[in-house]
Amino acid sequence: MRFTRLRKRHGFTLTELMIATGTGGFVLAAIMTSSIALQKTLNAIENYFATQMQQIRIIDYLNRDVKRGLIVTTSVDLQSVTITVPSYLIQAGDPEAIANPSLVGTPRTPTISNTLSGRQVNYGSSTSTIVYSISGQSILRTENGTVTMVASSTDQLVPQTTDVELANTEYTSTTVTFLPIFTSGNLATERKGTTLFSTSYLRNKRRG
Amino acid sequence: MSKLSKQGGNVLLCALCTILIVSAIAGTVLINCTTRYNVASSQVQSWKAALMGAEAGGDIAYAEVRKTILDPSNAFSAGAGWTNSGTVRTSSVATLGSNNVKASSTVDVFYSDSSGSPWYRIRSKGVSPALGVARTGMDDRMITGARGDSLLRKIDFYYDHFISTYGPNGDGVGKALVAVNQPQVSRRIELISAPVTPFEAAIKAGGTFYGLGSAAFVDSFRSTTGAYDVTVKDNPSDPRYADSQAGTVEINSAVATIMGSIYGNLYTNGGTVTKNTTSVYGIIDNNVPFDLSGFVMPDVTGWNYVPSPTAVTGNTTIDPPTTNGFPRAGSPVSPNYYLLTSFANNGNLTVNPAVINNVPQETYVAVHVTDNIGTSTSSQPSIIVPAHVHLQVYFDGNFQTKAQNIVNTSGYAGNLQFYAISPTVPSVQQTINLNSGGGATAGFSAVFYSPAANFTINGGPDITGAIVCKNFYANGNVHWHYDRALDNQGDPVDYRIASYVEDIR
Repeated sequence: MRFTRLRKRHGFTLTELMIATGTGGFVLAAIMTSSIALQKTLNAIENYFATQMQQIRIIDYLNRDVKRGLIVTTSVDLQSVTITVPSYLIQAGDPEAIANPSLVGTPRTPTISNTLSGRQVNYGSSTSTIVYSISGQSILRTENGTVTMVASSTDQLVPQTTDVELANTEYTSTTVTFLPIFTSGNLATERKGTTLFSTSYLRNKRRG
Repeated sequence: MSKLSKQGGNVLLCALCTILIVSAIAGTVLINCTTRYNVASSQVQSWKAALMGAEAGGDIAYAEVRKTILDPSNAFSAGAGWTNSGTVRTSSVATLGSNNVKASSTVDVFYSDSSGSPWYRIRSKGVSPALGVARTGMDDRMITGARGDSLLRKIDFYYDHFISTYGPNGDGVGKALVAVNQPQVSRRIELISAPVTPFEAAIKAGGTFYGLGSAAFVDSFRSTTGAYDVTVKDNPSDPRYADSQAGTVEINSAVATIMGSIYGNLYTNGGTVTKNTTSVYGIIDNNVPFDLSGFVMPDVTGWNYVPSPTAVTGNTTIDPPTTNGFPRAGSPVSPNYYLLTSFANNGNLTVNPAVINNVPQETYVAVHVTDNIGTSTSSQPSIIVPAHVHLQVYFDGNFQTKAQNIVNTSGYAGNLQFYAISPTVPSVQQTINLNSGGGATAGFSAVFYSPAANFTINGGPDITGAIVCKNFYANGNVHWHYDRALDNQGDPVDYRIASYVEDIR
């Protein structure tokens, strides 16, 4: 039997191996770091967008109610808003509903009354009250005792509403801010950068 | 076979894997972006556009309601796309903007006030196509079990949720499953259009204002709670005090020279009036523009035309006509109506009430003078209105007399109403000149609605009533008392939106 002489092959030198291992390690580290950064960025952006949608929702809820509001008052810390709106729909327990339960959920026919400030349009004998408030991480909307969670976020959503009453009109100015996940250290600036602003006029404001 | 080709296959595999991973990342980003874009740009936008459509429909209907006074022959016309079914008027569907937002409305009279003026209810609906991906619930994931956008923005993807749940009119009648052509958002509002009465302020000037005099004042009272008392306006403990502080002056101009005291609010349009320069006890607001439309003779259909007299010459007395043996007292919506072609400078008009069994009846009379009432400062025509008579005087020309020649025995200004019909030729300036002369303090109780006339009053008369005019000039110590009971008196001159409700179902 004849041994075939293997063709001479060269292996890697220790130096080459060390350089290759080191370079590979750097590349792997870079890939790992980039992946983690990408993941964090993706998460932050998704969170930012999602919270922004909640900002829009808070503003839209509030504006819808302010527009049809008769009276709007804000708390001293500007974070709680109470709106009195006409009772357009007959609710269970209302006098009309007690007399005729099938009327629940149907619109009322308005009535006119004379007041010291002139003639006034009324929907029913009472009004509905809507309160916007903050509870923990959530923004709540409470209408006649029924609570609806309008927004919920761990990003510290903060709505602030100012009620401005002029001689012939009334409006509310609302800002909603949050603290994004990615911050550069100046938290106040980061929060300010997320501000969403809105102004809504009361359509039912009556001049005295 | 070369080993090199195997190495090439490995590289290709690695490249494909890399592309796959990058594509997966890109796909995730794209899904998130699309999700947010779909909600923010399409659904939120459609939701807002639907309200704009509803409000546009409300505006279209409101314009027609205003026409019932300003242009009655063209109100709710078929040519403008309106159809009538009973007492309900329905608009055609208007398409607005590049996104094909649709607006439609119905109008009905739900109430008539004591003057017979109708109050209109406008129900308007706006429909906006929901563009983008037909998906929802993307932002409902606040917390487990909670819903976010779906509660606020109700999108009809396949069926109209409102009609199927509440019926087309929202009253539970006619519920049906109605398919929609494409995903849409619909929003509904209800507006109440209330008649604007002419006498809502003590003095309302569409142009400039000068007056009233350094010692003059404007205050108010409410005749339904008692006679005027000059002490009330300075006595906050008096229960009638609130009613004494409504002597409001409204000026649709920046040119306003305010003198005397105003126990009420003062509004100007761009003026510079401040508390420091005048004695205004109410609010000063220099940013209150308003519109005064010209006054046209109202529709006399339904009024009881009486052919005589046709002119006021010397002493002229109007007694109610007799119907079925009894004097006809008329009513606010059907007064006894006289058409007078002239009113002499020395004419004295007395309008008597209907008396049945020696009991005077509340009598409603309308007089249309197609000429001037008094033609010079020396003219002294008089108008005498005994108690129980409610007289409305419409005149086409000018009006000049002494303040004391306007005699309203009841003392209630609403019983004597003057309406100056606006000239159709813009260059013609209508005037009303009431000259007390010589410092006479005798005044009158009456109201004037004369949006095109310049109003001048001299001397220091004591006046109970209200005035709406173009330019106002008073040079004397007038004491002007606005009666708050006037705010629902007189022929409506316009309509305003008095209530706004959105049906959020």
